[in-house]
Amino acid sequence: MTSTDPSAAEAVVFWVCAFLSVVGGIGLILSRRAVHSALWVALTMISLAVLYIANAAPFLGMVQIIVYTGAVMMLFLFVLMVVGVDSSDSLVETLRGQRVAGILLAVGFGLLLAIGLGSALNGVPVVGLDGANGEYGGNVEGLARLLFSEYVLAFEIVAGLLVVAALGALVLAHRERWQPRRTQREISQERTRGGIHPAPLPPPGVYARHNAVDTPALLPDGSVADISVPGPLRARGDLRPVDTAAVAETAALTSGEATYGPAKRPVADDPGTSPGEPS
Amino acid sequence: MSEYTFNDPWWLIILKVLAIFVGLVLMTLFTIWWERRVVSRMQNRIGPNRVGPFGLLQSLMDGFKLGLKEEIIPKTAHLAVYWIAPVISATMAFLAFAVIPFGPMVSIFGVETPLQLTDFPVSVLYVLAIASIGVYGIVLAGWSSGSTYPLLGGLRSSAQMISYELAMSMSFVAVFLYAGTMSTSGIVAAQEPIWYAVILLPSLLIYATAMVGETNRAPFDLPEAEGELVGGFHTEYSSLKFALFFLAEYINMVTVSALATTLFLGGWIAPWPLSLWDGANVGWWPLLWWFVKVQLFIFAFIWLRGTLPRLRYDQFMRFGWKVLIPASLLWIVIVAAARVVRNEFSVTTQELLLLGGGLLVVIIVGSWVLQVRSERRERAQVEAAKAEMDKPFDPYAGGYPVPPLPGQEFTYTSRRAKAAVVEGTATRTATAVLPGESADAPVPSTSDPEEGTHA
Amino acid sequence: MDAYAPILVLGLLAAGFAVFSVTLTTFTGPKRYNRAKVDAYECGIEPTPQPMGGGRFPVKYYLTAMMFIIFDIEIVFLYPWAVAFDQLPLFVFLAMMLFLFNLTVPYVYEWRRGGLDWD
Repeated sequence: MTSTDPSAAEAVVFWVCAFLSVVGGIGLILSRRAVHSALWVALTMISLAVLYIANAAPFLGMVQIIVYTGAVMMLFLFVLMVVGVDSSDSLVETLRGQRVAGILLAVGFGLLLAIGLGSALNGVPVVGLDGANGEYGGNVEGLARLLFSEYVLAFEIVAGLLVVAALGALVLAHRERWQPRRTQREISQERTRGGIHPAPLPPPGVYARHNAVDTPALLPDGSVADISVPGPLRARGDLRPVDTAAVAETAALTSGEATYGPAKRPVADDPGTSPGEPS
Repeated sequence: MSEYTFNDPWWLIILKVLAIFVGLVLMTLFTIWWERRVVSRMQNRIGPNRVGPFGLLQSLMDGFKLGLKEEIIPKTAHLAVYWIAPVISATMAFLAFAVIPFGPMVSIFGVETPLQLTDFPVSVLYVLAIASIGVYGIVLAGWSSGSTYPLLGGLRSSAQMISYELAMSMSFVAVFLYAGTMSTSGIVAAQEPIWYAVILLPSLLIYATAMVGETNRAPFDLPEAEGELVGGFHTEYSSLKFALFFLAEYINMVTVSALATTLFLGGWIAPWPLSLWDGANVGWWPLLWWFVKVQLFIFAFIWLRGTLPRLRYDQFMRFGWKVLIPASLLWIVIVAAARVVRNEFSVTTQELLLLGGGLLVVIIVGSWVLQVRSERRERAQVEAAKAEMDKPFDPYAGGYPVPPLPGQEFTYTSRRAKAAVVEGTATRTATAVLPGESADAPVPSTSDPEEGTHA
Repeated sequence: MDAYAPILVLGLLAAGFAVFSVTLTTFTGPKRYNRAKVDAYECGIEPTPQPMGGGRFPVKYYLTAMMFIIFDIEIVFLYPWAVAFDQLPLFVFLAMMLFLFNLTVPYVYEWRRGGLDWD
């Protein structure tokens, strides 16, 4: 887009992103759901990142997205989901007059920023970052130069801050394990050696006539397999009694002593055809 | 550092954008078909072979079919977020491709331009940034469905992606060290003499592992563990919204493969026997080399899926946090140290390699010894803990009523036995009774246990 | 800014495509709703009370996210260091090693305490 005037393009980017970041901030306050608030903050963060990039600080912009949008806001989202914060929580103010105080403080802070920045920047020539970026061959190189020479102490102190953060998170969130962890091997050994049924239990004997799980399955010898019925039903004594007549009928059918069809029909007297076959 | 300057005319930008967009969609359709065919072969099946030549149009038809499906939105869904989640996922998937270099300078309608949409000094960081926004699509899809399985799947998947993103980002450090830039075209140019896959093999291995975890593919496809979570975060999505997640997954696969190609396999630079030919690295040919290299990675993805079973979640997280991260940190230190030695002291590469080899042997032997020792100690600890647990529960240990320790069985003891125990301990620990307490008050006598316990 | 303009174009195209697909299904697909269809899917059983709002999740995720932030910031410092490595003096190498060592301390501590184990 060589044709566009760079400063005009930058102005457009500024107004769009500034607008979006303010919208994000307002959305954060006005959202009823905590997760929606978190999303509005993410929008603000991304808009800020674009502003940084537009101001010739691409590294900062990308880091803003990676660290704030990708990591910090993700932590917020996790926490919101973990603790289940929602609009149903009590919104009654516990501090008396905090709303008024908050508004006053916000206005004061805004004025301070506007006046402070306004007077500090008034009459300062705008040079941009191009000179600083070009000095060592790029934005990142220049940043590295500064970070690891002038600000190396601050850099090391950041490590201390991160150590505190990690330990704090661990202290807050870690649940101490009292027993040694049971490995998969131990669990499976326990299951197979402990006399518990290692495989899935036999399914209940659901026939066409009874499609209920309280119908027990029958073992090959015709006896009732109690474990095929869910434990709670057994405990309530809800085992459906086995229809012995049906069992006998089935046995007769499978052994060839009886045939399908009307009960009146006599057993096939023709020895040449097997009973079940259609003739 | 030979980073290109990007000042294409607007029509060329639009042309490139369209090419990337259409290319990615086609690549997705092709990869789905390719994956199904390859996995089928691995499982002694044939796979889709009906729609179009060799079944090539199968995934296109599947896409149309998805578009004509009924869209079912659960009544518990948070509509705005539910709608926006697939949009985030798909958009970010496309966006990450903007900085991938496909080839050198070519001439398009008389304009000299690199085969790459854009590039800037931090373009690898840009890919990471886009990936971290892409995670939002998944976690929001899980949350907004208002259903249990998607929420679990979304949380799992985002925890997994952020864990493997770390190892992935760390594997880049060695590349930046050698290339001296974070721009993708600069990294490709820096690999002109030798690919980083050769000199930074551990980085490639770490990256290749992390990219499978990052894209939620088998064997790391825990968010979609059907046996536990049905479909994971997109369980409640149907029709084209589901198709967008599907599209995003496959585009992400292509993107991480392309990034691996860029960072480790020399991007579009021709491989060795071909590089002898002068025309291999100019014009449009490099696009072919690039495509073949990306396909190699995609084939590896498919191969993994056809071969390996899914990991258990704790194994998976342990692998990420306890193997990949320390390994990549260690590798960064080694690479940086070697670089320092080469820069500061005039050591030849050969000496450096010898030194490194010696150090490696020491490290391997040392870690083996440490491993054996720590295993022995751990076993002893477990034994000790077990012995502690196997001790019968003493409800009056130390003379005071105590609850059972975890693992100990609470055994009911009769009052008579309790009384006997109390008396026994009382006499044993008589010296430990504090002066302020009456040492003799509640001790029951064996002749009248009832009175003692009620006092 | 020229380098970033193409990203905007690609983003607009991709977002447009995504929004188009998301809205398209409202018009193309059949609509035959019933109560069971719009219920949350839980393998056919009655859906459990919704997890957000009342539900609780393992606090483990919080720990993971916190560790992620810490390593992420570490990586953010590693990148400029790596890029400018050859221009920087030996002292900076040592400074970074100290930084890495400092961050290894909580990592090892967490490992030993079992904070990195998942159940």
